[in-house]
Order: sequence, then structure tokens, then C-alpha cells
Amino acid sequence: MPFRLPPPTRPLLRAQLRSRPANGHVAFIPQCRKLVFEFCNRWPSSANTRTFLTNHLEEFARANPHVEIVVKQRTQKEPIVRGFYLNDRDKVIALNGFEVTGIAKKVQLLLDSSGAKIKPLKRRTVESTTEAARGIWSGLHVEEPFKI
Amino acid sequence: MAFLFRPLRQVAGRALHTQTTSPASTPATALSLIRSQPSHYVVASVAGRKYTLAPRDLLTVPRLKDVNVGDVLSLSEIHEVGSREFTIRGNPIIPPENVKVQATVVEHTKGRMEVIFKKKRRKGYQRTIKHKQTYTRLRIGPIDVVESHS
Repeated sequence: MPFRLPPPTRPLLRAQLRSRPANGHVAFIPQCRKLVFEFCNRWPSSANTRTFLTNHLEEFARANPHVEIVVKQRTQKEPIVRGFYLNDRDKVIALNGFEVTGIAKKVQLLLDSSGAKIKPLKRRTVESTTEAARGIWSGLHVEEPFKI
Repeated sequence: MAFLFRPLRQVAGRALHTQTTSPASTPATALSLIRSQPSHYVVASVAGRKYTLAPRDLLTVPRLKDVNVGDVLSLSEIHEVGSREFTIRGNPIIPPENVKVQATVVEHTKGRMEVIFKKKRRKGYQRTIKHKQTYTRLRIGPIDVVESHS
């Protein structure tokens, strides 16, 4: 088979030209798009949720204008809050058993989250898609190549 | 992989990793040398720990309590700025008017649920503790090596 010279320059592959997601690099888009509160009008387990909705929901809505907030009936069931995110995932948190401040904390947790699945983060300190600025060491491009 | 493409006949002196050039005479010259190169990295202290960071990185640190999602923080302790052939090392930090790096708070999350089980045998003592560590994720912005006009 005749020997073919390698091309003089690195070929530009189509996959290199696609953009890598980097939310927050220059522009930040909040990931939570919608919060749905479901509660029962009658059951006592929804009492704290009802208090929260009447007293504190409006200030959360004003502080987060990018989030659509929906309040729904869920008769004869425990109260829940659902958060919908831009990656098509949703988080559901049950609100029975919490005081009003506890409910506020759970709502803040939903607003702070990005919707990504919870994964072990202890060892993932820096997640990078940038190639190394200093380049990768090559044993063939030194003054004295290593001799076996 | 670079060696698969036709190598250049003359190897530029600067490009050899083993050859060292003399340090630049003034900080302004050093900064302009670094500025002239396309990509940079930074070694900065964040929340008490040093990390090697590049633009567009996602950095995970223990939860920063007094910060909201969407806030932009500027890194104040930068120990080293470098590019392919040149590096500036601060003593211990590079003055903030020379290099500016910002980080945006992307989210406050929790890690995976960890179950800690303690037992002392034959004593009737056992405890199960369920724990989720809280984290903050920061997106590093562009590295700005400031051009000083003096």
C-alpha cells in the first residue's frame, strides 16, 4: 500500500466547533424556572404550608422574578412543593412536618439548586473543559529524548 | 498527537520545555509577555485552599454562607498567572490591579447522602447518622491580565 503523507496541519473536525456549556462564565441564567405548591385546604398537615403561602410567598416571588410560581389544590393529601429546572428535571419536597421557617428553607433550597442529580462532590473540585494552557508534555519534543 | 502531523524543521527556542529564558526586566514587560499568549491559567486561593483554575472551570467549594446564587465574586488571592511559555509568581500574591479573575456563584447544592454508623459491641451502643455535605459551585470567568500604561 503506498505511504500517504500526514496532512501538514491538524484537520478541523466538526465536533471541535460545537460550543461547550458554561453557565455563569460571562452570562448567568438561573436554573429554576417554576415552583408549584400543592396543599390541602382542610387537613392539619397543610396548616403550616397555608400560613407560608399567605404570609411569605409574595416576598419569595418578588425576590426571584425569573421563577413562575403556581399554587394548586391537592385535597386529602400531604403538602408538597415541586421545582422545575431548565434541564427538564424536577425536584419534589414534601412539606408536612415542617414549621414555616423550615418550609422557607426548603423553598430556598429549590431556588438555589441547578436541578442536576445529586452526585458525590467531595473529590470533584475543579471540572474543566479547557485544554491546559501549558500544553501536554511530550517525550519526543525535549532536547534529550529519553533513552530506554 | 501533535507529532503525527509534519513537525517543523526549526524548533523555536522558546518552545522547548527545558530551555529557560531570563526573567523579564520589569513586571510590565512580564505582564505584556503573558498577555501576548492566547490561553492562561491561574493558581488562586479560594475558601482557604489553592486551586489551579482556567476560564470556564466549575469549582466546587464548601458552602459559602453569605453569598447568593448569581453573585459575582472576584478572586483576591492569586498566587500565580501563567501561559504556555511564561509564568508570573506572586510574593505571596500578585497585586490585584495586575490580574483580575471573577467567579460567578452557579448553585448551592448538597452532596450524596452519607450514612455514618457507629457501634460499640456488647455495650448496646449504636448510632446511625445521615449526612449531606453542603457545597457551592463557582464558574470561573475570563482571566484578565491588565495592560499597565505607565
